[in-house]
Amino acid sequence: MLKDITLGQYFPGDTVAHRLDPRTKLILVFLYIVALFQASGWAGYALVLAATVACMAVSHISPRSIFKGLKPMLFIIALTALLNIFYTTGRPIVPGWIITWEGIERAVKMMLRITLLIAGTFLLTYTTSPMELTDGLELLMNPLKKLRVPVHEMTIMMSMALRFIPTLIEETDKIMSAQKARGADFETGNLLQRARALLPILVPLFVSAFRRADELAVAMESRCYHGGEGRTRMKQLSMERRDAIAFACGLLLLAAVIVLKHWRL
Amino acid sequence: MSIIRFENVHFSYPDSDRDSLCGVDLEIEEGSFVAVLGHNGSGKSTLAKHMNAILLPTGGKVFVNGIDTADEQRLLDVRRCVGMVFQNPDNQIVANVVEEDVAFAPENLGVPPEEIRERVDSALRTVGMFEYRQHAPHLLSGGQKQRVAIAGVIAMQPRVLVLDEPTAMLDPQGRREVVATVTRLCRESGMTVVLITHHMEECVGADRLVVMSNGKIAADGTPGEVFSQVELMEREGLDVPETVRLCFDLNKAGFSLPLDILQAEPCADAVMRASDESPAFTAARCGRDRKDQ
Repeated sequence: MLKDITLGQYFPGDTVAHRLDPRTKLILVFLYIVALFQASGWAGYALVLAATVACMAVSHISPRSIFKGLKPMLFIIALTALLNIFYTTGRPIVPGWIITWEGIERAVKMMLRITLLIAGTFLLTYTTSPMELTDGLELLMNPLKKLRVPVHEMTIMMSMALRFIPTLIEETDKIMSAQKARGADFETGNLLQRARALLPILVPLFVSAFRRADELAVAMESRCYHGGEGRTRMKQLSMERRDAIAFACGLLLLAAVIVLKHWRL
Repeated sequence: MSIIRFENVHFSYPDSDRDSLCGVDLEIEEGSFVAVLGHNGSGKSTLAKHMNAILLPTGGKVFVNGIDTADEQRLLDVRRCVGMVFQNPDNQIVANVVEEDVAFAPENLGVPPEEIRERVDSALRTVGMFEYRQHAPHLLSGGQKQRVAIAGVIAMQPRVLVLDEPTAMLDPQGRREVVATVTRLCRESGMTVVLITHHMEECVGADRLVVMSNGKIAADGTPGEVFSQVELMEREGLDVPETVRLCFDLNKAGFSLPLDILQAEPCADAVMRASDESPAFTAARCGRDRKDQ
Protein backbone atom coordinates (compact mmCIF):
# COMPACT_ATOMS: atom_id res chain seq x y z
CA MET A 1 0.00 0.00 0.00
CA LEU A 2 2.87 2.32 0.79
CA LYS A 3 4.49 1.54 -2.54
CA ASP A 4 1.68 3.44 -4.28
CA ILE A 5 2.90 6.81 -3.09
CA THR A 6 4.54 8.43 -6.08
CA LEU A 7 4.84 11.91 -4.64
CA GLY A 8 8.11 13.50 -5.64
CA GLN A 9 9.11 10.57 -7.83
CA TYR A 10 11.07 10.91 -11.03
CA PHE A 11 10.46 8.80 -14.14
CA PRO A 12 13.63 8.86 -16.23
CA GLY A 13 13.03 9.47 -19.92
CA ASP A 14 14.27 11.33 -22.94
CA THR A 15 11.41 13.52 -24.14
CA VAL A 16 11.40 17.25 -24.84
CA ALA A 17 9.84 17.74 -21.41
CA HIS A 18 12.73 15.87 -19.81
CA ARG A 19 15.32 17.87 -21.73
CA LEU A 20 13.92 21.29 -20.87
CA ASP A 21 16.00 23.34 -18.49
CA PRO A 22 14.73 22.83 -14.93
CA ARG A 23 14.61 26.61 -14.45
CA THR A 24 12.28 26.84 -17.42
CA LYS A 25 10.09 24.14 -15.99
CA LEU A 26 9.96 25.78 -12.57
CA ILE A 27 8.94 29.10 -14.08
CA LEU A 28 6.44 27.35 -16.36
CA VAL A 29 4.82 25.68 -13.37
CA PHE A 30 4.60 29.06 -11.72
CA LEU A 31 2.94 30.55 -14.83
CA TYR A 32 0.67 27.50 -15.02
CA ILE A 33 -0.50 27.97 -11.42
CA VAL A 34 -1.15 31.67 -11.99
CA ALA A 35 -3.11 30.82 -15.14
CA LEU A 36 -5.08 28.17 -13.27
CA PHE A 37 -6.12 30.65 -10.59
CA GLN A 38 -6.97 33.27 -13.19
CA ALA A 39 -9.29 30.89 -15.02
CA SER A 40 -12.90 31.56 -14.06
CA GLY A 41 -15.11 30.51 -16.98
CA TRP A 42 -15.45 27.08 -18.53
CA ALA A 43 -13.43 28.15 -21.55
CA GLY A 44 -10.52 29.12 -19.31
CA TYR A 45 -10.62 25.79 -17.49
CA ALA A 46 -10.86 23.92 -20.78
CA LEU A 47 -7.79 25.76 -22.03
CA VAL A 48 -5.72 24.91 -18.95
CA LEU A 49 -6.97 21.31 -19.11
CA ALA A 50 -5.95 21.10 -22.76
CA ALA A 51 -2.52 22.50 -21.91
CA THR A 52 -2.10 19.90 -19.15
CA VAL A 53 -3.11 17.05 -21.45
CA ALA A 54 -0.72 18.35 -24.12
CA CYS A 55 2.13 18.44 -21.59
CA MET A 56 1.32 14.90 -20.51
CA ALA A 57 1.38 13.72 -24.11
CA VAL A 58 4.70 15.46 -24.79
CA SER A 59 6.35 14.01 -21.69
CA HIS A 60 4.91 10.49 -22.16
CA ILE A 61 3.40 10.52 -18.67
CA SER A 62 0.35 8.29 -18.55
CA PRO A 63 -2.86 9.62 -16.93
CA ARG A 64 -2.74 6.50 -14.73
CA SER A 65 0.40 7.62 -12.92
CA ILE A 66 -1.13 11.07 -12.37
CA PHE A 67 -4.29 9.53 -10.91
CA LYS A 68 -2.18 7.30 -8.71
CA GLY A 69 -0.53 10.38 -7.29
CA LEU A 70 -3.93 12.01 -6.82
CA LYS A 71 -5.22 9.20 -4.63
CA PRO A 72 -3.93 10.52 -1.30
CA MET A 73 -5.58 13.88 -2.14
CA LEU A 74 -9.01 12.42 -2.91
CA PHE A 75 -10.30 13.20 0.57
CA ILE A 76 -9.39 16.87 0.35
CA ILE A 77 -10.83 17.14 -3.16
CA ALA A 78 -14.09 15.49 -2.08
CA LEU A 79 -14.38 17.65 1.02
CA THR A 80 -13.83 20.85 -0.96
CA ALA A 81 -16.45 19.76 -3.49
CA LEU A 82 -19.00 18.95 -0.77
CA LEU A 83 -18.50 22.24 1.02
CA ASN A 84 -18.95 24.13 -2.23
CA ILE A 85 -22.11 22.21 -3.13
CA PHE A 86 -23.79 22.94 0.19
CA TYR A 87 -22.56 26.42 0.95
CA THR A 88 -23.14 28.23 -2.33
CA THR A 89 -26.28 30.31 -2.62
CA GLY A 90 -28.14 30.55 -5.92
CA ARG A 91 -30.89 28.78 -7.83
CA PRO A 92 -31.81 25.46 -6.17
CA ILE A 93 -32.01 22.45 -8.55
CA VAL A 94 -35.26 21.42 -6.90
CA PRO A 95 -37.22 24.23 -5.21
CA GLY A 96 -36.58 24.20 -1.47
CA TRP A 97 -33.34 22.19 -1.73
CA ILE A 98 -30.06 23.47 -0.34
CA ILE A 99 -28.17 22.24 -3.41
CA THR A 100 -27.92 24.91 -6.08
CA TRP A 101 -26.84 24.94 -9.72
CA GLU A 102 -24.18 27.49 -8.81
CA GLY A 103 -22.96 25.19 -6.04
CA ILE A 104 -22.55 22.28 -8.44
CA GLU A 105 -20.76 24.47 -10.93
CA ARG A 106 -18.37 25.77 -8.29
CA ALA A 107 -17.78 22.31 -6.88
CA VAL A 108 -16.85 20.94 -10.29
CA LYS A 109 -14.57 23.91 -10.93
CA MET A 110 -12.87 23.53 -7.55
CA MET A 111 -12.30 19.84 -8.14
CA LEU A 112 -10.90 20.61 -11.54
CA ARG A 113 -8.68 23.32 -10.13
CA ILE A 114 -7.16 21.16 -7.39
CA THR A 115 -6.73 18.19 -9.73
CA LEU A 116 -5.01 20.34 -12.35
CA LEU A 117 -2.85 22.01 -9.72
CA ILE A 118 -1.58 18.65 -8.49
CA ALA A 119 -1.26 17.24 -12.02
CA GLY A 120 0.84 20.24 -13.07
CA THR A 121 3.27 19.93 -10.18
CA PHE A 122 3.47 16.16 -10.72
CA LEU A 123 4.44 16.78 -14.32
CA LEU A 124 7.35 18.80 -13.00
CA THR A 125 8.62 16.19 -10.55
CA TYR A 126 7.95 13.27 -12.91
CA THR A 127 10.05 14.76 -15.70
CA THR A 128 12.79 16.45 -13.67
CA SER A 129 15.30 14.52 -11.59
CA PRO A 130 15.55 15.85 -8.03
CA MET A 131 19.16 16.78 -8.68
CA GLU A 132 18.16 18.92 -11.68
CA LEU A 133 15.27 20.35 -9.74
CA THR A 134 17.47 21.42 -6.86
CA ASP A 135 20.08 22.74 -9.32
CA GLY A 136 17.39 24.81 -10.98
CA LEU A 137 16.08 26.08 -7.66
CA GLU A 138 19.57 26.91 -6.48
CA LEU A 139 20.29 28.93 -9.61
CA LEU A 140 16.92 30.69 -9.52
CA MET A 141 17.42 31.60 -5.87
CA ASN A 142 21.08 32.57 -6.35
CA PRO A 143 20.40 36.28 -5.89
CA LEU A 144 19.17 35.46 -2.37
CA LYS A 145 22.69 34.35 -1.43
CA LYS A 146 23.58 38.03 -1.23
CA LEU A 147 21.03 38.31 1.58
CA ARG A 148 22.86 35.43 3.34
CA VAL A 149 20.08 32.94 2.68
CA PRO A 150 21.72 29.48 2.83
CA VAL A 151 20.47 28.53 -0.64
CA HIS A 152 22.89 25.66 -1.28
CA GLU A 153 22.23 24.07 2.11
CA MET A 154 18.48 24.31 1.60
CA THR A 155 18.57 22.76 -1.85
CA ILE A 156 20.88 19.90 -0.88
CA MET A 157 18.62 19.10 2.08
CA MET A 158 15.67 18.99 -0.26
CA SER A 159 17.38 16.65 -2.71
CA MET A 160 18.48 14.31 0.12
CA ALA A 161 14.92 14.21 1.45
CA LEU A 162 13.62 13.28 -2.01
CA ARG A 163 16.37 10.69 -2.45
CA PHE A 164 15.43 8.92 0.78
CA ILE A 165 11.65 8.79 0.27
CA PRO A 166 11.72 5.38 -1.47
CA THR A 167 14.30 4.01 0.98
CA LEU A 168 12.25 5.03 3.99
CA ILE A 169 9.04 3.70 2.44
CA GLU A 170 10.74 0.35 1.94
CA GLU A 171 11.92 0.46 5.53
CA THR A 172 8.42 1.26 6.81
CA ASP A 173 7.07 -1.71 4.91
CA LYS A 174 9.71 -3.93 6.47
CA ILE A 175 9.02 -2.71 10.00
CA MET A 176 5.26 -3.10 9.49
CA SER A 177 5.73 -6.70 8.34
CA ALA A 178 7.99 -7.39 11.31
CA GLN A 179 5.43 -5.98 13.74
CA LYS A 180 2.58 -7.79 12.03
CA ALA A 181 4.51 -11.04 12.32
CA ARG A 182 4.58 -10.46 16.05
CA GLY A 183 0.84 -9.90 16.20
CA ALA A 184 0.55 -6.14 15.78
CA ASP A 185 -2.82 -5.03 14.46
CA PHE A 186 -2.99 -1.94 12.27
CA GLU A 187 -6.39 -2.45 10.65
CA THR A 188 -9.00 -2.71 13.39
CA GLY A 189 -10.08 -0.47 16.24
CA ASN A 190 -11.13 3.15 16.35
CA LEU A 191 -9.02 6.04 15.13
CA LEU A 192 -7.21 6.46 18.46
CA GLN A 193 -6.35 2.78 18.73
CA ARG A 194 -5.06 2.71 15.20
CA ALA A 195 -2.97 5.82 15.76
CA ARG A 196 -1.50 4.19 18.84
CA ALA A 197 -0.73 1.04 16.84
CA LEU A 198 1.45 3.17 14.56
CA LEU A 199 3.78 4.06 17.42
CA PRO A 200 5.79 0.80 17.24
CA ILE A 201 6.42 1.66 13.58
CA LEU A 202 7.40 5.27 14.05
CA VAL A 203 9.92 4.74 16.82
CA PRO A 204 12.17 2.25 14.96
CA LEU A 205 11.70 4.27 11.78
CA PHE A 206 13.00 7.42 13.45
CA VAL A 207 15.90 5.59 15.07
CA SER A 208 16.96 4.12 11.75
CA ALA A 209 16.49 7.44 9.93
CA PHE A 210 18.91 9.08 12.35
CA ARG A 211 21.41 6.26 11.92
CA ARG A 212 21.10 6.57 8.15
CA ALA A 213 21.63 10.33 8.33
CA ASP A 214 24.77 9.81 10.37
CA GLU A 215 26.21 7.27 7.92
CA LEU A 216 25.21 9.40 4.95
CA ALA A 217 27.03 12.41 6.40
CA VAL A 218 30.23 10.38 6.84
CA ALA A 219 29.92 8.97 3.32
CA MET A 220 29.41 12.47 1.86
CA GLU A 221 32.43 13.82 3.71
CA SER A 222 34.46 10.86 2.50
CA ARG A 223 33.61 11.96 -1.01
CA CYS A 224 35.05 15.40 -0.31
CA TYR A 225 31.76 17.21 0.25
CA HIS A 226 32.54 20.53 1.86
CA GLY A 227 29.55 22.73 1.16
CA GLY A 228 28.65 24.59 -2.00
CA GLU A 229 31.92 26.46 -2.28
CA GLY A 230 33.93 25.63 -5.40
CA ARG A 231 31.46 23.00 -6.50
CA THR A 232 30.93 22.28 -10.21
CA ARG A 233 28.13 20.36 -11.87
CA MET A 234 28.34 17.56 -14.39
CA LYS A 235 25.17 18.63 -16.13
CA GLN A 236 25.56 22.26 -16.99
CA LEU A 237 22.24 24.01 -17.32
CA SER A 238 21.85 25.95 -20.51
CA MET A 239 18.88 27.66 -22.06
CA GLU A 240 18.17 26.39 -25.56
CA ARG A 241 15.72 27.35 -28.25
CA ARG A 242 13.20 24.85 -26.87
CA ASP A 243 13.26 26.73 -23.57
CA ALA A 244 12.36 29.96 -25.36
CA ILE A 245 9.51 28.18 -27.15
CA ALA A 246 8.30 26.72 -23.88
CA PHE A 247 8.37 30.16 -22.26
CA ALA A 248 6.38 31.56 -25.16
CA CYS A 249 3.78 28.80 -24.78
CA GLY A 250 3.51 29.43 -21.05
CA LEU A 251 3.04 33.15 -21.46
CA LEU A 252 0.56 32.57 -24.28
CA LEU A 253 -1.49 30.30 -22.03
CA LEU A 254 -1.53 32.87 -19.24
CA ALA A 255 -2.48 35.66 -21.67
CA ALA A 256 -5.25 33.58 -23.23
CA VAL A 257 -6.71 32.71 -19.84
CA ILE A 258 -6.69 36.36 -18.77
CA VAL A 259 -8.36 37.41 -22.03
CA LEU A 260 -11.02 34.72 -21.62
CA LYS A 261 -11.62 35.90 -18.05
CA HIS A 262 -12.04 39.42 -19.33
CA TRP A 263 -14.64 38.22 -21.84
CA ARG A 264 -16.34 36.22 -19.05
CA LEU A 265 -16.16 33.01 -21.03
CA MET B 1 56.96 3.39 -1.18
CA SER B 2 54.17 3.01 1.32
CA ILE B 3 51.08 5.10 0.64
CA ILE B 4 49.52 4.67 4.10
CA ARG B 5 51.61 4.48 7.26
CA PHE B 6 50.36 3.88 10.81
CA GLU B 7 52.87 4.74 13.53
CA ASN B 8 52.02 3.28 16.94
CA VAL B 9 48.36 4.33 16.59
CA HIS B 10 46.14 4.26 19.65
CA PHE B 11 42.45 5.06 19.56
CA SER B 12 39.58 4.89 21.98
CA TYR B 13 36.02 6.07 21.39
CA PRO B 14 35.00 8.97 23.67
CA ASP B 15 32.41 6.97 25.63
CA SER B 16 34.51 3.83 26.03
CA ASP B 17 37.29 3.01 28.50
CA ARG B 18 38.70 0.29 26.25
CA ASP B 19 41.20 1.06 23.50
CA SER B 20 39.83 0.10 20.08
CA LEU B 21 43.31 0.32 18.61
CA CYS B 22 46.33 -0.24 20.80
CA GLY B 23 49.66 0.43 19.20
CA VAL B 24 49.10 -0.40 15.53
CA ASP B 25 52.10 -0.15 13.22
CA LEU B 26 51.20 -0.78 9.61
CA GLU B 27 52.52 0.19 6.19
CA ILE B 28 50.53 -0.31 3.03
CA GLU B 29 52.43 -0.47 -0.23
CA GLU B 30 51.13 1.39 -3.26
CA GLY B 31 49.45 -0.92 -5.78
CA SER B 32 48.94 -3.82 -3.40
CA PHE B 33 45.73 -5.61 -2.46
CA VAL B 34 45.57 -5.86 1.31
CA ALA B 35 42.81 -7.72 3.12
CA VAL B 36 42.10 -7.02 6.79
CA LEU B 37 40.38 -9.87 8.57
CA GLY B 38 38.95 -9.94 12.08
CA HIS B 39 35.74 -10.73 13.89
CA ASN B 40 33.36 -8.14 15.32
CA GLY B 41 34.98 -5.72 17.72
CA SER B 42 38.51 -6.54 16.60
CA GLY B 43 39.13 -2.94 15.58
CA LYS B 44 39.23 -3.52 11.83
CA SER B 45 36.58 -0.90 10.98
CA THR B 46 38.20 1.57 13.35
CA LEU B 47 41.46 0.94 11.51
CA ALA B 48 39.76 1.64 8.17
CA LYS B 49 38.22 4.91 9.39
CA HIS B 50 41.70 6.18 10.26
CA MET B 51 42.79 5.86 6.65
CA ASN B 52 40.82 8.88 5.41
CA ALA B 53 40.66 10.92 8.59
CA ILE B 54 37.07 10.08 9.54
CA LEU B 55 38.66 9.19 12.87
CA LEU B 56 41.88 10.73 14.15
CA PRO B 57 44.26 8.76 16.38
CA THR B 58 44.22 9.59 20.09
CA GLY B 59 47.87 8.53 20.17
CA GLY B 60 50.45 8.02 17.44
CA LYS B 61 50.16 9.21 13.84
CA VAL B 62 48.69 8.18 10.51
CA PHE B 63 50.28 9.36 7.28
CA VAL B 64 48.54 9.20 3.91
CA ASN B 65 50.85 9.84 0.99
CA GLY B 66 53.13 11.59 3.46
CA ILE B 67 50.37 13.86 4.84
CA ASP B 68 49.56 13.67 8.55
CA THR B 69 45.79 12.97 8.73
CA ALA B 70 45.53 15.24 11.78
CA ASP B 71 46.45 18.23 9.58
CA GLU B 72 43.08 19.93 9.07
CA GLN B 73 44.43 22.18 6.34
CA ARG B 74 45.03 19.17 4.12
CA LEU B 75 41.92 17.15 4.96
CA LEU B 76 40.64 17.32 1.38
CA ASP B 77 43.98 16.09 0.02
CA VAL B 78 43.77 13.08 2.32
CA ARG B 79 40.19 12.29 1.36
CA ARG B 80 40.93 12.75 -2.33
CA CYS B 81 43.79 10.28 -2.03
CA VAL B 82 41.90 7.62 -0.06
CA GLY B 83 38.35 6.77 -1.15
CA MET B 84 36.10 4.86 1.20
CA VAL B 85 33.22 2.49 0.49
CA PHE B 86 30.95 1.59 3.40
CA GLN B 87 28.87 -1.34 4.49
CA ASN B 88 25.35 -0.17 3.67
CA PRO B 89 25.04 0.82 0.01
CA ASP B 90 21.74 2.67 0.62
CA ASN B 91 23.32 5.10 3.03
CA GLN B 92 26.12 6.25 0.76
CA ILE B 93 24.23 6.89 -2.45
CA VAL B 94 23.26 10.55 -2.55
CA ALA B 95 21.38 10.93 -5.84
CA ASN B 96 18.26 9.46 -7.45
CA VAL B 97 20.03 8.58 -10.68
CA VAL B 98 23.09 6.36 -10.87
CA GLU B 99 25.25 8.67 -12.98
CA GLU B 100 24.45 11.73 -10.89
CA ASP B 101 25.54 9.86 -7.80
CA VAL B 102 28.83 8.88 -9.40
CA ALA B 103 29.35 12.54 -10.35
CA PHE B 104 28.98 13.70 -6.73
CA ALA B 105 32.63 13.41 -5.69
CA PRO B 106 34.19 15.08 -8.77
CA GLU B 107 31.56 17.83 -8.48
CA ASN B 108 32.67 18.44 -4.90
CA LEU B 109 36.26 18.70 -6.09
CA GLY B 110 35.37 21.34 -8.65
CA VAL B 111 36.34 19.27 -11.70
CA PRO B 112 35.29 20.87 -15.02
CA PRO B 113 31.96 19.47 -16.38
CA GLU B 114 33.36 17.74 -19.49
CA GLU B 115 35.95 15.93 -17.40
CA ILE B 116 33.30 14.87 -14.86
CA ARG B 117 31.35 13.29 -17.72
CA GLU B 118 34.44 11.31 -18.82
CA ARG B 119 35.27 10.22 -15.29
CA VAL B 120 31.69 9.11 -14.61
CA ASP B 121 31.47 7.08 -17.82
CA SER B 122 34.82 5.43 -17.28
CA ALA B 123 34.10 4.69 -13.59
CA LEU B 124 30.75 3.11 -14.50
CA ARG B 125 32.40 1.02 -17.22
CA THR B 126 35.08 -0.14 -14.79
CA VAL B 127 32.51 -1.56 -12.38
CA GLY B 128 30.30 -2.86 -15.20
CA MET B 129 27.32 -0.61 -14.45
CA PHE B 130 27.43 1.63 -17.53
CA GLU B 131 24.12 0.30 -18.92
CA TYR B 132 22.45 1.24 -15.64
CA ARG B 133 23.61 4.87 -15.64
CA GLN B 134 20.08 6.27 -15.97
CA HIS B 135 18.51 3.92 -13.42
CA ALA B 136 17.21 4.79 -9.99
CA PRO B 137 19.57 3.31 -7.37
CA HIS B 138 16.81 1.97 -5.10
CA LEU B 139 15.67 -0.39 -7.86
CA LEU B 140 19.08 -2.08 -8.18
CA SER B 141 20.22 -5.23 -6.36
CA GLY B 142 22.53 -4.99 -3.37
CA GLY B 143 25.61 -6.00 -5.34
CA GLN B 144 24.78 -3.50 -8.08
CA LYS B 145 24.27 -0.70 -5.56
CA GLN B 146 27.59 -1.47 -3.96
CA ARG B 147 29.28 -1.38 -7.39
CA VAL B 148 27.68 2.03 -7.99
CA ALA B 149 29.10 3.13 -4.64
CA ILE B 150 32.53 1.90 -5.74
CA ALA B 151 32.17 3.82 -9.02
CA GLY B 152 31.21 6.91 -7.01
CA VAL B 153 34.50 6.67 -5.16
CA ILE B 154 36.79 5.83 -8.08
CA ALA B 155 35.37 8.78 -10.07
CA MET B 156 37.26 10.82 -7.49
CA GLN B 157 40.43 9.09 -8.82
CA PRO B 158 41.85 8.18 -5.44
CA ARG B 159 45.11 6.26 -5.14
CA VAL B 160 43.75 3.99 -2.45
CA LEU B 161 40.33 2.36 -2.25
CA VAL B 162 39.34 1.34 1.26
CA LEU B 163 36.27 -0.88 1.55
CA ASP B 164 34.83 -1.24 5.03
CA GLU B 165 32.94 -4.55 5.03
CA PRO B 166 31.38 -3.84 1.63
CA THR B 167 29.88 -7.33 1.41
CA ALA B 168 28.38 -7.64 4.89
CA MET B 169 24.84 -6.88 3.70
CA LEU B 170 24.99 -8.71 0.38
CA ASP B 171 23.94 -12.16 -0.80
CA PRO B 172 26.63 -14.58 -2.09
CA GLN B 173 26.07 -13.43 -5.69
CA GLY B 174 26.52 -9.76 -4.74
CA ARG B 175 29.58 -10.63 -2.65
CA ARG B 176 31.24 -12.30 -5.63
CA GLU B 177 30.44 -9.31 -7.90
CA VAL B 178 31.99 -6.84 -5.46
CA VAL B 179 35.12 -8.87 -4.72
CA ALA B 180 35.69 -9.56 -8.42
CA THR B 181 35.31 -5.83 -9.15
CA VAL B 182 37.85 -4.69 -6.57
CA THR B 183 40.30 -7.44 -7.50
CA ARG B 184 40.13 -6.31 -11.12
CA LEU B 185 40.59 -2.67 -10.08
CA CYS B 186 43.78 -3.53 -8.27
CA ARG B 187 45.20 -5.85 -10.95
CA GLU B 188 44.25 -3.80 -14.03
CA SER B 189 44.27 -0.18 -12.86
CA GLY B 190 47.00 -0.60 -10.25
CA MET B 191 44.85 0.92 -7.54
CA THR B 192 45.80 0.15 -3.96
CA VAL B 193 42.92 -1.77 -2.37
CA VAL B 194 42.31 -2.28 1.35
CA LEU B 195 39.44 -4.71 1.88
CA ILE B 196 38.06 -4.99 5.41
CA THR B 197 36.02 -8.15 5.88
CA HIS B 198 35.10 -10.99 8.15
CA HIS B 199 34.65 -13.45 5.30
CA MET B 200 37.77 -15.56 5.10
CA GLU B 201 37.18 -16.59 1.48
CA GLU B 202 37.37 -12.96 0.28
CA CYS B 203 40.97 -12.72 1.47
CA VAL B 204 42.30 -15.62 -0.56
CA GLY B 205 43.04 -13.50 -3.65
CA ALA B 206 44.81 -10.70 -1.76
CA ASP B 207 48.54 -9.99 -1.85
CA ARG B 208 48.66 -9.54 1.87
CA LEU B 209 46.46 -10.48 4.78
CA VAL B 210 46.38 -8.64 8.09
CA VAL B 211 44.49 -10.22 10.99
CA MET B 212 43.21 -7.85 13.66
CA SER B 213 42.38 -8.90 17.19
CA ASN B 214 41.56 -6.73 20.20
CA GLY B 215 42.91 -3.62 18.52
CA LYS B 216 46.24 -5.22 17.64
CA ILE B 217 47.67 -6.86 14.56
CA ALA B 218 47.65 -10.60 15.33
CA ALA B 219 49.11 -11.80 12.04
CA ASP B 220 50.47 -10.19 8.90
CA GLY B 221 51.77 -11.83 5.73
CA THR B 222 50.66 -13.40 2.48
CA PRO B 223 47.31 -15.24 2.78
CA GLY B 224 49.21 -18.54 2.55
CA GLU B 225 51.53 -17.61 5.42
CA VAL B 226 48.72 -16.33 7.61
CA PHE B 227 46.26 -19.17 7.02
CA SER B 228 48.94 -21.80 7.66
CA GLN B 229 48.99 -20.65 11.30
CA VAL B 230 45.85 -22.67 11.88
CA GLU B 231 46.04 -22.69 15.70
CA LEU B 232 46.36 -18.91 15.80
CA MET B 233 43.37 -18.48 13.48
CA GLU B 234 41.32 -20.84 15.64
CA ARG B 235 42.24 -18.87 18.74
CA GLU B 236 40.96 -15.73 17.02
CA GLY B 237 37.72 -17.48 16.16
CA LEU B 238 38.40 -17.26 12.42
CA ASP B 239 37.97 -19.88 9.74
CA VAL B 240 40.72 -21.09 7.43
CA PRO B 241 40.11 -22.18 3.82
CA GLU B 242 38.92 -25.77 3.43
CA THR B 243 42.14 -26.76 1.65
CA VAL B 244 44.22 -25.63 4.64
CA ARG B 245 41.82 -27.36 7.02
CA LEU B 246 42.13 -30.62 5.07
CA CYS B 247 45.92 -30.54 5.01
CA PHE B 248 46.04 -29.61 8.69
CA ASP B 249 43.82 -32.53 9.68
CA LEU B 250 45.80 -34.95 7.46
CA ASN B 251 49.02 -33.76 9.09
CA LYS B 252 47.54 -34.64 12.47
CA ALA B 253 47.09 -38.15 11.11
CA GLY B 254 50.76 -38.43 10.30
CA PHE B 255 51.14 -36.72 6.94
CA SER B 256 53.40 -33.77 6.26
CA LEU B 257 51.55 -31.53 3.83
CA PRO B 258 52.27 -27.83 3.26
CA LEU B 259 49.59 -25.58 4.85
CA ASP B 260 49.79 -22.62 2.47
CA ILE B 261 47.77 -24.09 -0.42
CA LEU B 262 44.59 -22.07 -0.95
CA GLN B 263 43.24 -23.44 -4.23
CA ALA B 264 41.43 -26.75 -4.71
CA GLU B 265 43.47 -28.12 -7.66
CA PRO B 266 46.99 -27.75 -6.21
CA CYS B 267 45.65 -29.10 -2.93
CA ALA B 268 44.31 -32.22 -4.63
CA ASP B 269 47.68 -32.71 -6.36
CA ALA B 270 49.57 -32.38 -3.09
CA VAL B 271 47.28 -34.83 -1.34
CA MET B 272 47.69 -37.35 -4.19
CA ARG B 273 51.48 -37.04 -4.10
CA ALA B 274 51.56 -37.42 -0.33
CA SER B 275 49.31 -40.45 -0.43
CA ASP B 276 51.56 -42.16 -3.01
CA GLU B 277 54.55 -41.66 -0.76
CA SER B 278 52.92 -42.58 2.53
CA PRO B 279 53.25 -46.30 3.41
CA ALA B 280 50.41 -46.14 5.93
CA PHE B 281 47.99 -44.71 3.39
CA THR B 282 49.09 -47.15 0.65
CA ALA B 283 48.59 -50.08 3.02
CA ALA B 284 45.14 -48.84 3.98
CA ARG B 285 44.16 -48.42 0.34
CA CYS B 286 45.44 -51.91 -0.59
CA GLY B 287 43.41 -53.37 2.26
CA ARG B 288 40.26 -51.62 1.04
CA ASP B 289 40.95 -52.70 -2.56
CA ARG B 290 41.24 -56.33 -1.46
CA LYS B 291 37.95 -56.11 0.42
CA ASP B 292 36.24 -54.72 -2.71
CA GLN B 293 37.33 -57.76 -4.66
